[in-house]
Amino acid sequence: MTTFLSLVLAGVSVGAVYALVALGLNVTFWTTKTLNFGHGSLMMFCAMLMVYFASQGLVLALAAVLSLLVIAAFGIFIERFTVRPALKTNNSMGWVVSTLGFGIVLQGVAAKLFGSQAVAFPSILFDSEDFVTIFGLHVSLQYLVVLGLSVFLVVVLEAFLRLTRWGQAVRAVSHDPELGRVNGMPVNAIIVGSFVLSALLGGAAGLLVSQIGGTVDPAFGFNLVLFGFVAAVVGGMGSSVGALVGGIALGVLSKLIGGYVASAAEQPVAFAILMLMLALRPNGLLAQAEATKA
Amino acid sequence: MTAIRTTLTAIVNNPYLVGAFVVALAAGAGWMSSGTIHVLSFVLISIIFALSINLLTGLAGQISLGHAGLFGMGAYVTGILAKTYGLPILLAIPFGALAAALVGYLLSFPAGRVRDVYLAMMTLGFGMIFFEIVREWNSVTGGMMGLSGVPSPTLRTLKILGYRIDEVWFFRGILLVTVLTLWIMRNVTQSRIGRAFFAIHHSEIAAGSLGISRAGTKQFAYVLSGLLAGLSGGIYAHLVGYLGPDSFTLNRSIEVLVIAIVGGLGSIAGQVLSATLFTFLPETLQVFSEYQFIVYGIILTFSLIVLPQGIAGLLLLPPRFIQAGSLARLRAGTGSKTMTASSQMGGLLEVDGLTKRFGGLTALNNVTLNLKPGHITALVGPNGSGKSTLVNVISGIYPPTEGKVLFKGNDITGLPDHKIARTGIVRTFQDPRLVPNFTVRENLLLGAHRLMTHSGFASALALPLATREEAAYLARIDRIMELTELTPTADQTVDSLPYGYRRLAEVARALVASPSAILLDEPAAGLSEIEMEHLSRIIRRMKEMGLTIMLIDHHMDFLAELVDDVVVLDSGKVIYRGTIDGMRADRTVINAYLGEEEAVHA
Repeated sequence: MTTFLSLVLAGVSVGAVYALVALGLNVTFWTTKTLNFGHGSLMMFCAMLMVYFASQGLVLALAAVLSLLVIAAFGIFIERFTVRPALKTNNSMGWVVSTLGFGIVLQGVAAKLFGSQAVAFPSILFDSEDFVTIFGLHVSLQYLVVLGLSVFLVVVLEAFLRLTRWGQAVRAVSHDPELGRVNGMPVNAIIVGSFVLSALLGGAAGLLVSQIGGTVDPAFGFNLVLFGFVAAVVGGMGSSVGALVGGIALGVLSKLIGGYVASAAEQPVAFAILMLMLALRPNGLLAQAEATKA
Repeated sequence: MTAIRTTLTAIVNNPYLVGAFVVALAAGAGWMSSGTIHVLSFVLISIIFALSINLLTGLAGQISLGHAGLFGMGAYVTGILAKTYGLPILLAIPFGALAAALVGYLLSFPAGRVRDVYLAMMTLGFGMIFFEIVREWNSVTGGMMGLSGVPSPTLRTLKILGYRIDEVWFFRGILLVTVLTLWIMRNVTQSRIGRAFFAIHHSEIAAGSLGISRAGTKQFAYVLSGLLAGLSGGIYAHLVGYLGPDSFTLNRSIEVLVIAIVGGLGSIAGQVLSATLFTFLPETLQVFSEYQFIVYGIILTFSLIVLPQGIAGLLLLPPRFIQAGSLARLRAGTGSKTMTASSQMGGLLEVDGLTKRFGGLTALNNVTLNLKPGHITALVGPNGSGKSTLVNVISGIYPPTEGKVLFKGNDITGLPDHKIARTGIVRTFQDPRLVPNFTVRENLLLGAHRLMTHSGFASALALPLATREEAAYLARIDRIMELTELTPTADQTVDSLPYGYRRLAEVARALVASPSAILLDEPAAGLSEIEMEHLSRIIRRMKEMGLTIMLIDHHMDFLAELVDDVVVLDSGKVIYRGTIDGMRADRTVINAYLGEEEAVHA
């Protein structure tokens, strides 16, 4: 029973990170119906930059902020140079390939700059040894922070979308960018903003995952994007609450399977879920079928 | 520049020159160093692999970010069969290719239901999972340690029928396989199969309206692509003699995608050039191999924007999609005389109590109407009144919520669009949906897709059976182009034509399909006065041929001269049915649609 509960807790926490990744993918999906296939590289790059800044003697908090700033700049670059031109070419394949390409460039650059070996990630808030006891269970404080932060971000994003003018503008743009433009909305700014936000969410997720894992290497991140995407699809593409629910469900399920069957089975199971979801409920478990005009 | 392209294209397409080059390569292999032969063998493997992704992504438009999984499937199945079960190479490689084709087949089920980003993620996931499984399944694949001891010419352990095969003869063997594969791929690209791939690539809905099954076509693309990837993987397994999971990571999927994109998606010659380039570069340029993946990344980031047609677009003329043999027969007049009995006779199309709801919105509300053969019925109504929805439901794009559609007395309610097209109901779209890089003639030939009876096997080998039948349809297309006055544009690509011609080409394509009933969704929109007259002549011809015709349009004057009767829709309901003069006097129609001025005008 204890094993079960601790697996569930670990799953919830890891799932919260998947949710963050899913959110990062969702944000650009709202505004442009695209998502960044190099998202994993942003996560990786942010974590590696932070390690680098920290190794130069910077205060950890400052190192984190600085690396997030760099990642935000990448977000602008990705929108301007990979997504926008590709959307003009009217070829749905264009942006998939170009964002993936940029992710690969980042991965290669990281390997050149920081080496291709895994590096130790500093403990930002808590050590991996820190824990609290809840109902007699040792719960890692890092896990709790990750979970807390993810839930916090989901709530903030939902509030932003529903309650603020900018949030409504984002929803309007996601519904019909042309109409938004005609009505004088700063559509471009909203789109760029969504890529910056997405990059920041990716960067934050990268820092949090590295914190749990303890190390980071240039190859890190690609798998996580896949998990994040599965979470987004399970929850219904574009839904924040769906991303959280989907992420946590996926996290718990994969940890349980990893714990009781074999840890190598985690990824195949996630993939099987993705296949099933796409085959049976492509709009997600929570969402209703969307009617599209032919 | 065009002169250079024309010359290069002529060289690439000249069978004697290509044949001489291949023979020279095979003969010259005897004098080459072992290292050169090794690299050249990799070039050939790379070419077949690139053809595989080119077929799926370039032709059929289905992106694949996990192609290494199919390649690896072929390699591991071949390797395991050869090493663990001692199967000879001539059996092991075909089995490996078949196994990869099977995986492609299975993959096509979830893949057939999704597009764009979902498909990209799914294939990415497939590649990753393949890698995980190969790495973890120690007992079968050797896990991280890999699988060594596959009979290989490099290690002098490969025998065929008792003869020891050295590197040179192995190279000659795969050269033969590669040339055969290239030839078949060229034939397939220029056959009804290849054209169907392009049709679903550019518009699945338009493909369906011509009787091309999107699910079946995609499935076939996945199977063929898997077969080719598996074939190259199987050869690879025997060439290197050792398989480790690291050869089948995401990086290899990326590499083959880079090769295909740089070569030019859709171009076979481009794939050959690009595969050669990217196999030689890392071997010869130390700097390149060091920065290989950064370079790949940069290429992927910018190539589709900077050079969307790849090197093929730079060096060669765009490929064409009709067999030279069929065109030669057309000119010589030796096409087959027997065409599939055309179902040119119109049939009664009955719509009975049709209702279509989207969520809470009722787009069609209990619509009943009959369309008679040799009769033109206009369907008019304000925007959003459900005209296009009605066409979409009849043609099978949407299943109806309630009600029935009968054609020639048969219930066709809820059939998928390609099956409805095969009963002889053909439609056009508000926005012309042609394949942009096809010529008018090639687009029109797509219309004959459902009528052709020759097998895929015949078209893959360009047998007379196939070219004769294609020539027969090409002759008919010539007549239809004359009728529609499209003859001068026959060999121009559609994307280079003005809008009016595209409209007419779409109507002509629908005619090529030998329909019994034709549904024209605003065919006159955006046409000039002259083009409109032209269009009405064509529509009158269709009426004379006895077709059942439904015509959506807003130009009352255009309709007045043409149609036999009118059905007016408003908010999904039929509010008027009868003659056009009666409609102009009808109060309900004036209030809902025409307005006072039009009524007075009449």
